[in-house]
Amino acid sequence: MSKSKKVPYLVDRPMSFCPGCGHGIAIRLVAECLEELGQADNIVFPIGVGCSSLLGGGIEADRLHCSHGRAGAVATAIKRCNPNNVVISYQGDGDAYSIGIGETTSAAYRNERFTTIIINNTNYGMTGGQMSNTTLPNQKTNTSVYGRDCSVTGNPIRFPELAADQFNVGYAARGSVHDVPNIRKTKSYIKKAIEMQLSGEGYSVVEVLSPCPTNWKMEPLEAMKHIAEHVTTYFPLGEFVEKEEK
Amino acid sequence: MADMMKGNVAIAEAAIRAGARLYAGYPITPSTEIMEYMSWRMAEVDGVFVQAESEIAGINMIIGGAACGVRAITASSGPGISLKQEGMTTLSDEELPAVVVNMVRYGNGIGTLYSAQCDYHRETRGGGNGDYRCIVLCPSSVQEATELMVLAFDLAEKYRMVSVFMSEGALGQMMEPCELPEMRELPRYPWGFDGKYTNKKVGIFDRNSRDEAVLLNEKYNAVKENEQRWESIDVEDADYVLVAYGLPGRASIGAAKELRAEGYKVGMIRVITAWPFPEKAFQEVNPNVKGFITIEANATGQLIDDVALTALRTIDKKVQCYCRPHVYGIPSVKAIKQDFIDVVNGNMKEVY
Amino acid sequence: MKECVFAGFGGQGVLTVGLLISQMATYKDYHATWIPQYGSAMRGGTANCTVKFGEGYIYNPSQDEPDILLAMNNPSLVKFLPLVKPGGTIVVNSDLVDSEINTRKDINLVEIPCLTLAKEMDHPRGANVIMAGAIVKLSGDFTEREAIDGMNDMFRKKGKEKYKELNTKALSIGYNYI
Repeated sequence: MSKSKKVPYLVDRPMSFCPGCGHGIAIRLVAECLEELGQADNIVFPIGVGCSSLLGGGIEADRLHCSHGRAGAVATAIKRCNPNNVVISYQGDGDAYSIGIGETTSAAYRNERFTTIIINNTNYGMTGGQMSNTTLPNQKTNTSVYGRDCSVTGNPIRFPELAADQFNVGYAARGSVHDVPNIRKTKSYIKKAIEMQLSGEGYSVVEVLSPCPTNWKMEPLEAMKHIAEHVTTYFPLGEFVEKEEK
Repeated sequence: MADMMKGNVAIAEAAIRAGARLYAGYPITPSTEIMEYMSWRMAEVDGVFVQAESEIAGINMIIGGAACGVRAITASSGPGISLKQEGMTTLSDEELPAVVVNMVRYGNGIGTLYSAQCDYHRETRGGGNGDYRCIVLCPSSVQEATELMVLAFDLAEKYRMVSVFMSEGALGQMMEPCELPEMRELPRYPWGFDGKYTNKKVGIFDRNSRDEAVLLNEKYNAVKENEQRWESIDVEDADYVLVAYGLPGRASIGAAKELRAEGYKVGMIRVITAWPFPEKAFQEVNPNVKGFITIEANATGQLIDDVALTALRTIDKKVQCYCRPHVYGIPSVKAIKQDFIDVVNGNMKEVY
Repeated sequence: MKECVFAGFGGQGVLTVGLLISQMATYKDYHATWIPQYGSAMRGGTANCTVKFGEGYIYNPSQDEPDILLAMNNPSLVKFLPLVKPGGTIVVNSDLVDSEINTRKDINLVEIPCLTLAKEMDHPRGANVIMAGAIVKLSGDFTEREAIDGMNDMFRKKGKEKYKELNTKALSIGYNYI
């Protein structure tokens, strides 16, 4: 079988995500953007722990599997030591918003000149579907078996909004990969984020809503529909800050 | 003539001269002057300084810098180094060189600010998860601290390991005349990230842990064979040998010399590399030695364990091993002499 | 080897006096150590440092049994009086310190009104340097010239040369007060 010419060589090998998972789409989008911006040979990925770490097995580039949650700190130093490389921390919601909330927030707060891509699938995927800081109200997970009770767990965190409202970041957006129009839009967000980094103007973050059929115990199509109907109602899609590039 | 220089300042400047170009960390007494110094000094040498949001973020920034081939250093003290263990095991796992300074303060938990040696076990065993060791260097003067800082970077680079610079709070705060090392202009390590995936050694995802284990043991055995360092006096005919490191080690040399002058056959081993432990120093000890006595600034005695194990390996007969933990501070020469007298008079029970 | 403890309120310049003496010692190619009490130990009335110097290596840099104590305030005299070596010397700032606090007969107590002397020479911040002058004389280890050269060398390296004349004068006043 002949390969599509459009597969970026950066990711032209099998990945080990579950069927219906959104990670593969997001990674492909990142790789396409890098290639289109001429940065495929100028990229370093600090990678989170969790399903996001599977990027490491699927991509041939400088990459470091960081300790859980610490990619924001690792990326800070990589970008400051190698300011001419594009640095993208690739993390999940558990890595970036739970165990790594300090590192993620602090990098945004300092306006570090790298890009963070955060895959939000509203649960801890790798460990088998526990509640995360983005689990929806009343969502059932392995550690919220009766549904998430926000009166004791707090409310799901909306990080791009936080970064946009509170910090002087360069770019903050939320996309989704549940259908083709949104995949296209998400790609444009990722591209803008990398362009922001190339301009040197500031921190950029793109959260990507992503289906997790395995842990949501849904068929892939059902999971896509769940994002459209439920996840996006709590996590609105769009751009929250878009600083002028100089 | 050398000028008086504060330990922490000398340590920081020596690191710069040894080639350090990234500092990331979080302030904690009694190590803070190192960070304060680096905050302006790094800029002068086109290095990177980051005031991290936490100890954990600090050590992870060291990982990021080291992965780019930059000579990286962070400094902290007891509780801060506890938080850094995650990063130190990661550095070890990725075989990234870095220097971690622990200006040890006394106590469990958040502890106290007293100068102490209570972190010996953690630093010499590797306090994070997994199977790793760090090279542990223990200075006893400001001058020696600057020399060991250069060595710390050189050994970290040579073996691609973490060098722990384990000193005591008091050494960072005290001043002594000090000749700084020469400024070195070094290129980055040749294998760091360049965005082009030129070097495929860092960030390996497909691992063969069994093969790696063999290589790891070979590396650690080479370090043990080649890098033991110590200072010893009068051990060849000694009835008793004092063993200590750092500032208590320095005071113990004074005590051993005075005891010798008073007619006691006393020797002294000052440990400089706590890991690899200087077993070779013990091979030079009188085979008929009656006892080893460790002088320590902690509560429970820690160095004593390595001394007893090493005595078992190097001396043909069972030798009594005693320990006097002075808890914190620097024991006076007089106090250490009394420790020895207590042993000779049977007033101190052996630990092993 | 000589051991000196310098103690007083923060701001009285006792850490600097200690540094001065240690720098004079290294200027003379002696071994020297300077060690402060730091952290929580320094709260509550006295800042202090210990300086040791001499021809031989200093095995224990920490406070042990001082030959000379400088007490710039009452709490310092109370705290360190018992530590001074028998036959040792205590120099007190007699403008502030109540000499009646001293109960020991085996030490030599020297009273110097350093604040008054500093005021008289119109250099109120020079009280600590006056005390340094007295202490180097009492130690018997430095000539006046050596002390002045060592001091000025230190201030020059710290970029504080502009006080050279005043400091030289202050040191001489202390030295010659003894």
